Parts: sequence; C-alpha cells; structure tokens
Amino acid sequence: MMHRVGSTIRISSSTGHYNALFRGALAVFPLALAVVPWGILAGSYAIEVGLTWYTAQAMSAFVFAGAAQLAALGLIASGIGAVGVLLTTILITSRHVLYSLSLRPTWHVLPMRWRITLGFLLTDELFAIVMSDKFKALKADPWFALGAGGFFYLSWNLATALGIVLGSSMPQLHTLGLDFAIVATFIALIVPSIKTPAVLVCVSVATYTAMLFALWQWQVGLLLSAVLGMLAGYMTECLYGGDTKEAL
Amino acid sequence: MSWFVLLGMAVIIFMSRYVFLEPKLPMVLGPHLQRLLTYSAPAVLSAIVAPLIFIEGEQLHIGFQNRYFVGAIIACLLIVVTRNTLLTVLVSMGLFFLVL
Repeated sequence: MMHRVGSTIRISSSTGHYNALFRGALAVFPLALAVVPWGILAGSYAIEVGLTWYTAQAMSAFVFAGAAQLAALGLIASGIGAVGVLLTTILITSRHVLYSLSLRPTWHVLPMRWRITLGFLLTDELFAIVMSDKFKALKADPWFALGAGGFFYLSWNLATALGIVLGSSMPQLHTLGLDFAIVATFIALIVPSIKTPAVLVCVSVATYTAMLFALWQWQVGLLLSAVLGMLAGYMTECLYGGDTKEAL
Repeated sequence: MSWFVLLGMAVIIFMSRYVFLEPKLPMVLGPHLQRLLTYSAPAVLSAIVAPLIFIEGEQLHIGFQNRYFVGAIIACLLIVVTRNTLLTVLVSMGLFFLVL
C-alpha cells in the first residue's frame, strides 16, 4: 500500500503497519494504565448522577473526553440544563482545536477515513504521544497513531465499564481523589518535555494563569491560559533566538 | 442525561478535534504559527493540571496538607530521577491512594 504522508511518499508493507500499530499501543501503554482510575471515576460518577449503565457507557464510547464528561456530569448533578452542559463542553473542548491545528501539516494529507478516525481519537494523551520527541520518527505514520489512540480508547471504555460496576455497588467513589490519575499522568508528560528555557517559561505561565483563572472561576481560563503559555514560550524563543539547541 | 445532550457533546468534541485536519479548509500554517504550536502540548497539559494541584474547595491551597500538591511533587521527582513514565504514574498513584 502506498500513501502520501507529509511531502514524502511512504511505502510500507502490511507487516510494517502491524509493527507501527503495536509500537503505538506500546507507547501509550503507561498512559492507558494511568487513565484507569479516571475512567472508573467517569463510570461511577455517571451512575451516581443517575445515568443508566448504557448511557454511561455510551458517553465514554461516543464522547471519549474525560474532562468534558466529568464536567457535564457535575453540571447534571447540580441540575443545570442541556444548554449549560453544551456551552461548558465547548469551553473545555476548545483546546482540541490547538491539537488539530498543530497536526494539520502532518495529517491533513491523509485520506478521509484516516482523518476522521484519528480526529475522533485525538485526546490530550494521543497528542502528547504523537508530538513527543521520543516518537518523532513515527509521527507521520497513521498506523502508529491508530495503535496509540485505539488502545487508549479501549482502556478508557473498559475503565468506564469497571466504574459503572463499582459505582453501582459503592457510591461516593468520586470522593477518593481518583482524578489524581490525571495529575500523575500529565506531570509525567510535561516534565520530560521541558528541554529548553522557552518550554519552562511556557509551562510556568500556563500553570500560573490557569491557577489564577480557576480561582476566579473563569470557565474560559483553560484555553486562555494555554494560549498565554504558548505565547510566552514562543516569545522567549524569539528573544533568546535559537534556544531550541540550547538545552537546559 | 438525554441522548440529545450526549450526541451534542460528541459532535462538539469531534468537531473541535477534526476541524483543522480538513484539507478543504483554505489555510496554510506559516512558520511562526508552526513554532508557536510546538508549545501547545506542554501549555494545555499544564493548564489542565494546575487547578487540580493548587486549588482545593475553590481556594488556593499550597502546603503539605494538600495531598494533590504532595502527590504532584512526588510525581515530578520520580519522572526527573527515573525518566520512566510507567514507573512514575504507578508509584505516585500508589503512594497517593495508599499513603497520602
């Protein structure tokens, strides 16, 4: 099979596909494991809020976005209507626009079935894997992304199912602090990416402003602080010129 | 939760992930924008975790009584020392749930 990836023509055999698929699954494995408590939380909290088991599972299967799912459940629990839930979803998911924009140069040349599949699977975790320096050589291979995204999707849905079962028998599971899973995972992704002063500035600004906006309860804070962090990092890079080579 | 809300969420989220993968969208990313976007992963991930780590019950809480804060420090130390993602998430989560 032959397909265009970026500006190069990549020819890979079907064994190459399986290899890339497997390497993707392997790359995402730590994150797929770490997301289990967070998935349990999504499933059990959905049951606590009053969703049927199949709606709870359908949420993970079709929505496939932890932060948005938990926020929506919280809103439903406090009696907020459909419009409020959908508006909050727009705010929380707005960051994904940055991901699709970042991957446009690499993925927009793929056939539609690939774009739709990888677009659907484009979580924070998949984005972090695809963008990481560690897997630079595999970035343009859609089979690698499919392996990572697909395995993560399975893990998220199995964890949700487990949460549905557990949540039905033991309520108040969400008070355990299962969302620490996301803290541990994201720290393990962020810290190794801090290789230049510019990334350090980016992370510091995003962290500080996100904290501030959260205190002020600005719903738009997530996207705004991410953009401020990116601008701060990019400005640092421009000011100190070529510091991509100057490692910390 | 109604199916309307669930499907609405699914559509909104899919659109946000797909929008710029659409080649029919007439847009070329200049070199500056591409450089800027290299910072999107660390920026977004930081913006997501910061409130979880530093805020407890709608208030700023930096200190050793905040288990998220302590757990975050442990995770930072583990990833710096071991450079191993799997070990970092497993050990820091284990300590968080069993000890902290």
